[in-house]
Amino acid sequence: MNILKLAFRGLMRNRRRSTMTLLAIAFGFSAISLFAGYTHNVYDGLSRQSIYGEMLGHLTLSKRGMRKEGKLDPERYLLTATEVATISKLVQDEAHVRMVSPRLALAGLASNGRASTIFIAEGIDPAAVEQLRKGALTEQERKSGMFDSMKALLDPVHPEVVNFSEGLVELLHLQTGGQAAVLVNTLTGQANALDVTLGKAFNTGNAGSNDKFAFISLALARTLLDAEGRADRLTILLDDVNNTVWMRDRLLAKLTAAGFDVEIKTWQELSDFYNQVHGMFDMIFGFIFSIVLTVVVMSVANSMGMTVIERTREIGTLRAIGLKRSGVVKLFTMESMLLTLIGCVAGLAITLGVRWGINAANISYVPPNSAGRVPLLIDMDVMRTLFTFVLMGVVGTLAAYMPARRAAKKDIIDALGHV
Amino acid sequence: MSETTYHTPILKLRNIRRRFQLGETTIDALNGISLDIHAGEFLAVWGPSGSGKSTLMNIIGLIDAPTEGEVHFEEQDTRVLDDDALTDFRGKKLGFVFQNFNLVPVLSALENVMLPLQIQGVDELLARDRASAALVDVGLARFKNSLPDKLSGGQRQRVAIARALVVNPKLVIADEPTANLDSENSRMVVDLMREMNRARKVTFVFTTHDPRLLDHVDRKILLRDGSIVSDEVTA
Repeated sequence: MNILKLAFRGLMRNRRRSTMTLLAIAFGFSAISLFAGYTHNVYDGLSRQSIYGEMLGHLTLSKRGMRKEGKLDPERYLLTATEVATISKLVQDEAHVRMVSPRLALAGLASNGRASTIFIAEGIDPAAVEQLRKGALTEQERKSGMFDSMKALLDPVHPEVVNFSEGLVELLHLQTGGQAAVLVNTLTGQANALDVTLGKAFNTGNAGSNDKFAFISLALARTLLDAEGRADRLTILLDDVNNTVWMRDRLLAKLTAAGFDVEIKTWQELSDFYNQVHGMFDMIFGFIFSIVLTVVVMSVANSMGMTVIERTREIGTLRAIGLKRSGVVKLFTMESMLLTLIGCVAGLAITLGVRWGINAANISYVPPNSAGRVPLLIDMDVMRTLFTFVLMGVVGTLAAYMPARRAAKKDIIDALGHV
Repeated sequence: MSETTYHTPILKLRNIRRRFQLGETTIDALNGISLDIHAGEFLAVWGPSGSGKSTLMNIIGLIDAPTEGEVHFEEQDTRVLDDDALTDFRGKKLGFVFQNFNLVPVLSALENVMLPLQIQGVDELLARDRASAALVDVGLARFKNSLPDKLSGGQRQRVAIARALVVNPKLVIADEPTANLDSENSRMVVDLMREMNRARKVTFVFTTHDPRLLDHVDRKILLRDGSIVSDEVTA
């Protein structure tokens, strides 16, 4: 029997009910795939924010123990000038490595001459900042102009020019081109103060750090800490984020073989915020997914239950003229599968339309813990959309199984006599 | 008995009893009926309402099992067949014509006639050819693409007859095939069944409560209160 044809025409009998069920599936599918697309964009944005915006790079290399003990004993845990040069060379020789940049973090007091406040700073090579910042934004985000204030470019010609975060500038009533003084402890514990010139202020994108963060050149950081040629870590930028984990393992093996006792962390291991947001959105996604699946199952089961009741006599006729019980089950599950698949395709069309509309509308919002607005953009999360498609197809089909089994078990005479 | 009868029983009923339990009441619908139906017969079962005609037809059609007794179809004891085997058996050996036509409303006349063949797994093109030929036989070739609701009652019943005959069954069971038809259409339907019986040598068993239709049959069995009152060969 051409069961597909019969199933399709079966759906056309009660068009209103089929349409209502189909809409429930379509909007459910659309809700899931739009949310998946949104979270995909958020994850993607957060990963770029971590790798490029926070300038974590893909990998961070430091002496083993630096992260735990380095603050108490920096002299011991900082990489020496020789180590920095040798390790950089070994890492740079790898085909997938785009950049290796020594970094030096420090903390101290910043003053406008009348008042002082604490600051934390990253000492980094100006060329590395430029390279890292290049990958921070997508073309769409760049065009939106919403992230312009995040740009912080150090001047390679004038290492005394530092970039303070917007909050810090505001706190000390400073302005671009003005002077400030910074005071830090050297590695040996001596106080070291320097006058600095302020470059363009920037927004860290994080309310917690926007009033205390600064970027300074690596040269200035080394001068302030009196740590010529040294670094607390090396930031490694790769050609592709997907190479992160295996490259970490490869580099670690290579450097261990070369006699260096180092540890290498991926950007995901270092970015707590990324992991927290990822975990939260995954949970919300699971929650929404469960609700939508429940709605789909209920809709399909209800629709198929009604269909079975309405077509009882037809079931009796088909059974009488030779359709086995398994054939009846197949017929109704096929109807359900068709309904679910058509609903999913309709949902995909809704998703594409809504996604286009939202992305074109240039909507922005302020996410939690953010210092600025970000555009609301929706990606196409192909894997999760596909997963939703398959799972909803399977669940929708299974939802018809019980009513179909009930139909198949009906006594033929009772079914034929059904009015 | 007519000249087309081969005197070979295709169906043997022995001491058939059918009992129904309605709440605390037990109803004996059939009381020990024994009956042979021979190949090529055109047989009517008649009697008043509640006499057990439909119950007997359900048992002959293998869609109901007797409470007691044996049903042998072409020497096959049907008691040993499970549901799937019985369904296969029905699909290949039996044709059904129902009082309410029971056509699938979303399928055209042709597709309705193709249905039993396709259930059996016959190739679609072959099924189409055979169904078209069956519709020609019942005089509905030009209505083959019509949906059932576009056909008159008489035409629908002719489609149902074509559907019953398309599998080349040994036996066609028609339970009150004319009950929902006017007298003219009733006559046409019975004439058609008779014609098919003669042309194809297909055995027909049908029930009716219209005595006027009994003039056309080879044999008529009168049922009353679940028992055979008379079994009369008329041709």
